[in-house]
Amino acid sequence: MGYTVRDKAAIVGLGTTEFSKDSGRSEMQLAVESVLAALADAGIEPGEVDGLCTYMMDNSSEIDVFRNIGGRNLKVFSRISYGGGGACAPVQQAMMAVATGVAEVVVCYRAMNERSGMRFGQPMVRSSPESEMMLKALHSLQGLQTAAAMMALPMRRYMHETGASAEDFANYSIVARRHAATNPNAFFYGKPITLDDYMNSRMIADPFRLLDCCQESDGAVAVVVTNAERARGLRQKPVYIRAAAQGAPVGTLLCTSYYKPDIVPREECQLVADQLYTMADLTPGDIDVAIIYDHFGPTVLPSLEGYGFCEPGEAKDFIKGGNIELGGSLPVNTHGGQLGEAYIHGMNGIAEGIRQLRGTAVNQVRGAEHVLVTAGTGVPTSGLILGL
Amino acid sequence: MEQTATQDIPPSKRPLPVPHSNRDYDFFYQGLEAGKLLVQKCDGCGTVRNPPGPMCPHCHSLKWTPIECRGTGTVYSYTVHYHPPLPNFDSPHAIVLADMSEGFRLIGGLQGARPEDIRIGMPLVVGFERRGEVSTFHFRLA
Ligand SMILES: [Zn+2]
Repeated sequence: MGYTVRDKAAIVGLGTTEFSKDSGRSEMQLAVESVLAALADAGIEPGEVDGLCTYMMDNSSEIDVFRNIGGRNLKVFSRISYGGGGACAPVQQAMMAVATGVAEVVVCYRAMNERSGMRFGQPMVRSSPESEMMLKALHSLQGLQTAAAMMALPMRRYMHETGASAEDFANYSIVARRHAATNPNAFFYGKPITLDDYMNSRMIADPFRLLDCCQESDGAVAVVVTNAERARGLRQKPVYIRAAAQGAPVGTLLCTSYYKPDIVPREECQLVADQLYTMADLTPGDIDVAIIYDHFGPTVLPSLEGYGFCEPGEAKDFIKGGNIELGGSLPVNTHGGQLGEAYIHGMNGIAEGIRQLRGTAVNQVRGAEHVLVTAGTGVPTSGLILGL
Repeated sequence: MEQTATQDIPPSKRPLPVPHSNRDYDFFYQGLEAGKLLVQKCDGCGTVRNPPGPMCPHCHSLKWTPIECRGTGTVYSYTVHYHPPLPNFDSPHAIVLADMSEGFRLIGGLQGARPEDIRIGMPLVVGFERRGEVSTFHFRLA
């Protein structure tokens, strides 16, 4: 049976707060500010919302957001696991809900004080009875306690298998910071970096240097999803959900997919990519802009391979050749990525995808019709193809 | 795992927190208490598996036996942790993902090696230690 959801749902509203290092207000306030902004953008009353979806580590619960915005009857509420790998999955949940008629107005949101509040980069040693925490504790006893160190192991293996070097990793960071340098909403607006800056930045977890690591940010993003019929009568040009998918090949764990034959964070991308291109009836060559999740910049390389833009091991040459820059064959992370703009756990990447299709991005790719947005890799992940 | 009793000790010098375990993982920590590195072997089809779990994914047997490992392997990948400071460990702290001789992967801290000397493929050997209340293990280059 083929997919039946292509273009049945559309993103019709986008709301964001400012991105900062100290928002000065609660995460719940950030959440409801972004949700109300997204609804206002769409021209839909808060009382019409009947679905709310988010993902792990959002401290603002669906029902509390609903109460604060003056909602009435919530019919769809879900929360996806696996950290930044869940970034695109709430939109998939929303798509399925509105395409089937289960709900009509679903808002996906992400709000966090990730710099001024609980910082994800810190060592993780506390545990709960969840099954995954047993393995996390076993790793923790060996001194493997930060997300950077966990993801460094597969990327060291990637270097070994492909010959990618520190310079190759630097090339991505330089592009991301160049794109951020012309984005006034980016923390690193006006602050591009050089290869020397990269090489002189301190080691965090070998092979990751400081300039490979995404930021820690405060902020929120929300998007409104409704069915295609309703979308056509609203204020904004609809951004259709061509395809949305999740993927976790067997052995994929939370940042520690070490126990399967191939530990490079690429297989989960391939599983999502296969579904997306089939569902959308598109090929990698049809993608005009790619928003590739960059918790750690080097993981963009195997992601580009997994999503079919080049063969395994060739991403270093693809990047070196200028393809991912503005004006290149596949502009990537035109907002500056999570290295350059902000780290709203991938949701700011969805916002950039929407702006590119509306034609309102600061680093606009002219005539963009199809945008790929991906979520965290090295974890069970998700992705979207958005289109006009 | 509050560590109120050790507040005056620098984070890297504190004893390890008590292992967080359940009935699927208990055998591993019990092995370390006895100075042994144990791994699950399926009674149905003989497959060795890690991480621990109650069911063999190949034959679905719920019966298994903990077997003692030789404690040898090779570096499949590695990292060296520099920042931020880790509770209970000094920085830099090297960690390896080992291909063990019995055919499973294992994460372990690597002691006694300079970061610049670590290479994928190097042979490893397991050692045991007691840190505070906890019995644990580490790797060294063989
Ligand atoms: Zn078996």
